[in-house]
Amino acid sequence: MKEIFKALGNVVIKMPQGFYVTFKHLFKKPVTLDYPRKKKPMAPRYRGKHYLERYDDGTERCVCCGLCAAACPADAIYMEPEETEKGERKARVYEINLLRCIFCGFCEEACPEEAIFLGQEYEFSADDRNKFIWTKEDMLVPHPRKDNPFKKILRRVRKVYGTPEATR
Amino acid sequence: MATETKKDTRTAQQAPTVTLTIDGQEVTVPKGTTVLEAALGMGIHVPTFCWHPKLKSVGACRMCYVEIEKMPKLAVSCATEAMDGMVVHTDSDLVKRGRKAVIEFILANHPLDCPTCDKGGECDLQDLTFKHGFDDSRYDFLKMRFTEGAVHTTFDDVRIGPEIILNRNRCILCYKCVRANKEAFGEYDLGAFERGNITEINAAPGREVSNPFSGNLVEICPVGALTNTDWRYKIRVWLTKQARSICPFTSSGTNTLLWKEDHQQKIFRCTSRRNDDIDDGWIADVTRYGWSYVMAEDRLQTPLVKKEGKQVPVSWEEAIDLVARRLTEIDDTKGNVCIGGLINPQLDNESLHAFNKFMRVTIGANNVDHRLDYPMLPAQGDTAYSILSSQPFSIADIDTSDVIVSFGSDMLKEHPNEYLRMRKAYMFRQAKVFTINPYAVKNADIASVDVVYAPGTDEIVVNAICLAAIEEKLVDAGRAAGLKDKIVPNSAAEAAETAGVELDDIKIIARSLADGKQVTFLVGELVARCAEREPIAAAIANLNRLFGLTDKGQVARLARYANSKGAEKLGLTPFPAPEVKAKLERIFGGWPENEALTTDKMLVQMNKEAINAGLVVGANPLLLYPDREFARECLERLDFLVVCDSFETETTAIADVVLPLASWAEYAGDYVNLEGRTQHAEAAIKPRFHSRPALEIIEQLARAMDKPLFESADERRREVAEVLAAQAVLPWPNDYFEVSFDNAAADSEYTIPVFVGDDPHHAGHLTEKSPSLSNFVSEAYVEMSIELAAKLDVKAGDSVRVESEAGKVIVPVKVSDYLDTDAVFLPRNFSSAQVNSLLMRKKRVNRVKITRVAD
Ligand code: SF4
Ligand code: SF4
Ligand code: SF4
Ligand code: FES
Repeated sequence: MKEIFKALGNVVIKMPQGFYVTFKHLFKKPVTLDYPRKKKPMAPRYRGKHYLERYDDGTERCVCCGLCAAACPADAIYMEPEETEKGERKARVYEINLLRCIFCGFCEEACPEEAIFLGQEYEFSADDRNKFIWTKEDMLVPHPRKDNPFKKILRRVRKVYGTPEATR
Repeated sequence: MATETKKDTRTAQQAPTVTLTIDGQEVTVPKGTTVLEAALGMGIHVPTFCWHPKLKSVGACRMCYVEIEKMPKLAVSCATEAMDGMVVHTDSDLVKRGRKAVIEFILANHPLDCPTCDKGGECDLQDLTFKHGFDDSRYDFLKMRFTEGAVHTTFDDVRIGPEIILNRNRCILCYKCVRANKEAFGEYDLGAFERGNITEINAAPGREVSNPFSGNLVEICPVGALTNTDWRYKIRVWLTKQARSICPFTSSGTNTLLWKEDHQQKIFRCTSRRNDDIDDGWIADVTRYGWSYVMAEDRLQTPLVKKEGKQVPVSWEEAIDLVARRLTEIDDTKGNVCIGGLINPQLDNESLHAFNKFMRVTIGANNVDHRLDYPMLPAQGDTAYSILSSQPFSIADIDTSDVIVSFGSDMLKEHPNEYLRMRKAYMFRQAKVFTINPYAVKNADIASVDVVYAPGTDEIVVNAICLAAIEEKLVDAGRAAGLKDKIVPNSAAEAAETAGVELDDIKIIARSLADGKQVTFLVGELVARCAEREPIAAAIANLNRLFGLTDKGQVARLARYANSKGAEKLGLTPFPAPEVKAKLERIFGGWPENEALTTDKMLVQMNKEAINAGLVVGANPLLLYPDREFARECLERLDFLVVCDSFETETTAIADVVLPLASWAEYAGDYVNLEGRTQHAEAAIKPRFHSRPALEIIEQLARAMDKPLFESADERRREVAEVLAAQAVLPWPNDYFEVSFDNAAADSEYTIPVFVGDDPHHAGHLTEKSPSLSNFVSEAYVEMSIELAAKLDVKAGDSVRVESEAGKVIVPVKVSDYLDTDAVFLPRNFSSAQVNSLLMRKKRVNRVKITRVAD
């Protein structure tokens, strides 16, 4: 008899208690992310995929000095310079092998021209190893940038008041 | 090195010395040594910018500060002579502060260009700032910026020469470039202008820096103010590796470094590798820029075989099989004498030896020659010319000579390195220089006496010197006995008149030769290429005997190509020196019996169809043989012609089989320079396309004919070493030579003597494929004196028709500032103008007429 009452008590009290926890979580914010529909915002100093900056008039900042390649501990950067019609030095070939890259950010630190930055993007899976060799075309930010007008305004503001950190 | 040290100790013994203390160490140096040199000699590092071991000190940069006790201020060590009892500190606090200040001063106006500057990574200013400078800048003002004349607005670069780009903002005014140009090369196309803050280096007004040594200026510039297009924006210096190489274009074998990148398999530049015994660290532009033919895209890529009148690409196996089969066939049906072999003396020792063995053993013919551009070679091996050619010679001895004579040699064009040595002896030791030539040459400006004789009277000039010495009693009468009867004419005056020279000049030369303590007598290509070189060589032998020149110096004919001396010593001539021949006979196990044929004789036999097959390795006789028509006719008559070359040339065009040849930078090899010194050149890259080194081709051919040449690489090396060890110097005879002379009358219609040789920026047939050298000169021209141009009523750049009995070419006029007689000069390096078609091989002096082309 005693056992029957114990079992009954479990069903009546303990089970709803358990269900209550489950039920409670239905109304809580989930800890997981609805990836890939939703993406986690990265920390401002996150080191993701590289991008190459331009000057405001569209010329590439990178002069192909080779310092990033010299600083790179993984030997991931390869470049070949050339001369432009204006007699300036720029990269004809600029490649980063993302399979080698360890995302240390040394290249960003070494660059005397503030040309290379590690951005926020972390999604770069591919079905072919060769696709991991990022060329200059892949990394150069488009000119003029294709983004929304608000960002443009933001950039203006930043230009006047200075950039806190580089973001894409 | 050895000779230099020997000389140093000799001077040290004679000259007074001083003893001083540097950083607590006592050192004794010859008087006249600077404090800097004394310190460097002890292995103490003193930073410098403007000091250069081969130039005079100017003290322009103040970087070399040292502290000398009892001197009130810091002293400039490169301009301070070491004195007895000096106490020098090179590392005291005061010195360190001084250096910091100097660096700060230099950087005040120096742009922060390092990321774009090609010197970055090997820049003295970068290194010394890193080592001695401040970390920070205190300079708040705008930097001085030169913009005038700049083509590019970003960097203010000015192009001051075909290859040189100047950036005045980066210049630290060490004046090394201007000084080297003036002191070492005797050129005045670069200068320093203005003064104070706005001092600038620039090309002389209206000139461009295009002298044949201009590349050195780029190399010695301590910063990136002078750069060349060759290296500009190509690669970072720390990504390259260096191969220690040897210059393949000049005979001195100047030491070079080829800067290469292994992954790309590319060569990027060539710089000097200082060797005081040979080159003093200066290399001619042809050496510096010539390498780029290796990287040319139009190189021969695969073997070509003529099928139904057209050359089609085939595989190596097919080509080698075909050559082997055809050669065996001709050997069987016509006999081995019917095969002739010509090889370019720019190839390495082992290739040359393999070729020799292939021709003389595998094929069994005696027809081997490397002298492709000399007409009418002697038909025996012991003539005066052969003796003269075999004489030993030392480049470093030019430095110490007090009398230097260059006879029949356009040194700048043929021997740029020895040309610089002559200038050095004149500049730094006040040596007396004499130039004796049939036309005025560039180095005449340093000559005490410049003799220009009538073309075709070479031996008469030499005889005139001998006669003048006898008449003036400058030489021992016993020694002179018997000479006068053997030579023509009878008196110096008569000889001088025949040759059209001043008797006084001849007397001065005779006196200097007799008085000189150490004499260097150089004989050049104008004698070697002369159809009648024997009497000239005989006259020089007489002169040598009369003055006893070999006892107090050297008399030598300078070999022309990178390995001419090697080819001679390895017996690649029809008549090797006796000891060489004996060695070869032993190695080969016999010697072919048939008559040995020189290049000329071979061509004649080809013409008679007595030679039916020809093997030409690395050479282009159609461009270089001094009688184009004749050479073409002969080579075209061959049943079977095999040509190995790196490019398609006029000779490969008529060949039945063309094999792509690797260049010297693509394999390792040894070369013998004109002193007889064997030097090793490392391979920089792998053979490009499907080309192969000559050695490999020859060995494969022999294997395909079932007669392998060598059992192993060791055996091959041993054989080469053995032959090279043989004595190739022929002794001078014990008597005077007879020298007769008959003055050939000039043709009626053709009056202007013509000389054909290398342009100062080119050598042989390959350099025209180098884009950098083509920036200097890319087409043939006819160089003439101002007077002749006026007489013909032509201006520089006008097209003229140069016509001889044999042929004609149409080329632009170049007016020369040093030619002063009617003779004209044409470069032979360009396939676009067939300059050698003007020449006839049997003619001693070729003459032309020049008419203006109506436009
Ligand atoms: S992040 Fe680091 S490893 Fe990646 S390319 Fe830059 S320097 Fe190299
Ligand atoms: S990204 Fe920066 S460091 Fe790298 S080559 Fe370009 S300019 Fe130089
Ligand atoms: S250009 Fe170079 S070598 Fe000439 S003065 Fe300037 S820094 Fe010196
Ligand atoms: S090295 Fe002595 S002043 Fe320049």
